[in-house]
Amino acid sequence: MNLPADKFKGKFQKTIYLTCNSFSVQGIGAIIVIVAVSTAALLAGLITVHPSNLPSGAPFTPPCVEHFLGTDDLGIDIWSQIVYGGRTSIYVGIGTALLAGVAGALAGIAAGYFGGHTERLIMRLTDIMIILPDLPLLILVGAFFGPGINNIILVLALFSWTHPARIVRSKVISIKEENYIKAAVSFGAGFRHILLRHFLPGVMPLLSVSVIRLTGRAIVAEAGLAFLGLGDPLSKSWGLILNHAINFRGIYFTPFWKWWLMTPLIAITLLVFAIALVARDLEKKINTKGVIS
Amino acid sequence: MKPAGYLITLSVVLILNFFIPRLMPGDPFTFLSSDPDGVTIVYTPEQIEKFKGYYGMDKPLTEQFISYFSNLVSGDIGYSIYYNDDVIDVIASRALWTISLIIISLSLAGIAGIITGAISAWFRDHLIDRLLYSFMILFSEIPAFITAIILLFAGGAWLGWFPLSGGATPFRGYTSGWDKISDIAMHAVLPVTALVFARLGEFYLLARSSMITVLSKDYIRTAKGKGLLKRRIIFIHALKNAAPPVVTRIFISLGTVFGGAILVENVFRYPGAGFLLREAVLVRDYPLIQGLFLFVAVSVLIMNFTADMLYGKFDPRVRVS
Repeated sequence: MNLPADKFKGKFQKTIYLTCNSFSVQGIGAIIVIVAVSTAALLAGLITVHPSNLPSGAPFTPPCVEHFLGTDDLGIDIWSQIVYGGRTSIYVGIGTALLAGVAGALAGIAAGYFGGHTERLIMRLTDIMIILPDLPLLILVGAFFGPGINNIILVLALFSWTHPARIVRSKVISIKEENYIKAAVSFGAGFRHILLRHFLPGVMPLLSVSVIRLTGRAIVAEAGLAFLGLGDPLSKSWGLILNHAINFRGIYFTPFWKWWLMTPLIAITLLVFAIALVARDLEKKINTKGVIS
Repeated sequence: MKPAGYLITLSVVLILNFFIPRLMPGDPFTFLSSDPDGVTIVYTPEQIEKFKGYYGMDKPLTEQFISYFSNLVSGDIGYSIYYNDDVIDVIASRALWTISLIIISLSLAGIAGIITGAISAWFRDHLIDRLLYSFMILFSEIPAFITAIILLFAGGAWLGWFPLSGGATPFRGYTSGWDKISDIAMHAVLPVTALVFARLGEFYLLARSSMITVLSKDYIRTAKGKGLLKRRIIFIHALKNAAPPVVTRIFISLGTVFGGAILVENVFRYPGAGFLLREAVLVRDYPLIQGLFLFVAVSVLIMNFTADMLYGKFDPRVRVS
């Protein structure tokens, strides 16, 4: 099918058409998963009956009509925990990725455009950040500064900006050599003009894929930290549910793990898979066409 | 990176390690444990004074830094409050577990990645390549500690093939050296598998793509023209040139693997540095946390540096540039 997109009446239909055309079957499935998880997290209050932090039934209730994912050792509804936990995970993921994306783009543009000492300094910094082990430093900061969710985002972003920065830098270097940039400069275009009109649109496709990937990585990193007991205790995330479940004595010898441990495990895996699939599809599209249409 | 780069990185590590406890908001010693399973510790005023004296916080910052640095040079990285022992000794008693876990799983993942990558490249676009490719892509996205939990429940609890936790059976009198080795090996199977799975996809993808590039080169066509066996072409001619990128990646990923090992050790309660780190966090043993951070960062730096030095010997192309 190669219908021109403007044959469609509504903007919505056009978007749907373009999406279906740009992504593989798995990619579309992945988008549905991401949209579903985000909606569930956004509308958490509407789709849960029980509170996510107070007991609402007998401990260790297996999945039933009242608690359709069961309850944990304190009788807290697991479905509510998963939905509200999704909020934390997505907030950390998107927060980190956007912060790192903006910082990385700025650093990359500065390195690529100005060159010289600026470039050397920024590239040296990315070298250092790549070698430094991120989890131990995260733990160090978490242990000393307290496991606040914003601290976690900040430190994760501190470790994540290098990837977008490197991509943006090499793209900017290649754009800089194009004749239209030289023409624009000879017509008196300033840095601001070139940045907004040429660099940003040029790096946007690659940058967005990098940001999507970082979202997935940040969600995993937060889950890992929370699993170690360094998550924000006030905003229960999927990793923290895992932490509680696996530290429950004798969980292996009881049937509780089937609903208590498996649900956060499946939730993390599903979301991370979905994000990776979307990033991969977009990457393929950029590699074949050069732009996202 | 040049040696100077490593020196700069090392200084960054040391400076971070010095400043993080001192930049901490509020009072470090009244910070309560936030972990629900943790031991809540409230220090008495005398203890707080003692710790402040320990950190030398009553002296000016420059003086603190000088004494911190001179202590480091003499090998004194602090005194563990909880274990009542020098931090360096506490870490040394656990380090071997973690380091062997990492070395074994990285080598296995590297070898498996290169072999599967070579198979995939040779059968490019056949069914076997497609199956391997989609399987690996999926697997490369699952973080090590999730795989570890799944393995723990499948291999340890459900099938009962492997021990659930620990690095060796406690209080077991070994009848022979072999008995001891096999006991330790059985405990290591699941953690190693989890770490291998976490890295395998990445190495496979890299090996596959570099193999595909190499296989299109003229000397491979010559080898085919000479009528050499497929096996020989892949494993003798192509592999030699396709392996270096994977080896480099193995060393670059050391920092990440250390992170993965910390989490995996905690899933299996494996008695390495990662499990120690969590214990230290639970009891808020700050000198120990700092010492462990220093240990991991310096080990990663040393291993990367060694790799950089060795790499020039293996690949003459690097030496020239």
